[in-house]
Amino acid sequence: MRALLTVTISATCLMAMVSVSKADPAAGQAVFKAKECVACHYTEGPAREKTIEDQLAKKGPELWYAGDKFQAEWLAGWLADPKPIRPMKFNSLTEENAGDHPALGAEESATVAEFLMSLTSGEVEAGTVKVKKNAKGRQIFTKKMPCSGCHQYTGRKKVIAGGRSGPSLVDAGVRLNADWILAYLKKPEVFKPVKMMPVFVGLLSDKDMANVASYVGNFKPKKKK
Amino acid sequence: MKKITIIATLAGIACHVFITPVSASDTQIIYKFYCAQCHGLTGKGDGPNVTKDFPVSPRNFTDAAEMNKLSDADMKNVILDGGPSASKSPMMPPWGKTLTGEEADGLVKHLRTLCKCEGKKS
Repeated sequence: MRALLTVTISATCLMAMVSVSKADPAAGQAVFKAKECVACHYTEGPAREKTIEDQLAKKGPELWYAGDKFQAEWLAGWLADPKPIRPMKFNSLTEENAGDHPALGAEESATVAEFLMSLTSGEVEAGTVKVKKNAKGRQIFTKKMPCSGCHQYTGRKKVIAGGRSGPSLVDAGVRLNADWILAYLKKPEVFKPVKMMPVFVGLLSDKDMANVASYVGNFKPKKKK
Repeated sequence: MKKITIIATLAGIACHVFITPVSASDTQIIYKFYCAQCHGLTGKGDGPNVTKDFPVSPRNFTDAAEMNKLSDADMKNVILDGGPSASKSPMMPPWGKTLTGEEADGLVKHLRTLCKCEGKKS
C-alpha cells in the first residue's frame, strides 16, 4: 500500500513538473496580463512608435519580438530574478536604473517566458550568425562605429567599460540571440523605428553588421576554472 | 532657355513647399533624444556616456571660444558624417542615416544658441 502511494505521489509530482516545463503560451499570456506587465510593455507588433514622443511615452521596452531577441533560458531566469540591464532608467538620461522591476515566482517566470518566446517578427533568419571572437567585429564595436560609446561591455582585464545611455551588453551573448542582433542592425525600421542609436544601414555593410553581431553574441561570462 | 527658367522656378517653389525648416521646439526634442547622451542636456559635454574611461571629451557646446572655430557647415558635416569627417574621433557617430539635412540644420542653430556665438564664416 505504501509502495503504491509512493508511486502515485511520484507520478503526480512528475506530471506537475512536466506540465510546468510545457507551460503553454496562452497561460503565460494570462499571467502577463494579470501581473499588469502590459502597463509597460506591448506585445503585439508591428512597431507602434512613429515619433520621438511616441518612444518617450513608453515605460519599458516593447516585447512583441521577444522570441527573436532573447534566449529562453536567460529570460525565465531574469523574470524570476530581474537585475538591471540598463544603467539608466528606461528613456532617462538623468535617473539611474533603480533595479525595481517586479520579480515573478519560478513557475510564473517559466510560463511567462514561454509566452514571450512565442512572440516573433518573422524578420529574423535563424542560423546566420556564428558567434566567435571576431576581430573585425571588435574593431567596429570599439573604434570604427563605436557601439561602446553607449553600451557597457567587458573590456580588457575584465573591467566594465563603455557608455551608459544604452542597454548594457555585458554578457549579452547569454541574453541576446545573435541572429536578432544582426536583424536589428539591418532592419531598424522593423524593430525600433525611433531609437537613440544611429541607423547604420548604408554605413556598415551587411557583412560588417554580421561581424558586430558575432562579436557581441560572444560576450559571455568567463568559465570558472 | 525659357523652358529651363520655368523648370528652375518650379523647382524653387517645390523646395519652399516641401523642405520646411524644423522648428526650434522640435529641434530641442531631437537634441535631447540623440545628442544629450554624450553632450549633456545643457550641452556641456557631460552626458551619461561620459564616464572616466570615455576616450575623448565630447564637445562642450557652451564653450564659445571653441565653437567659434567651427563654421555652421563644419558642424552640419560632423553631425551627418561623424567625427572622422573633420579629423575628429569616431566616438561621434554619423547621424546622416538617422536625421534629415533639415534636422541637422536645426541642430546647428540650436548649438549656436548654446554657445551664444556665430562661428567661423565659411
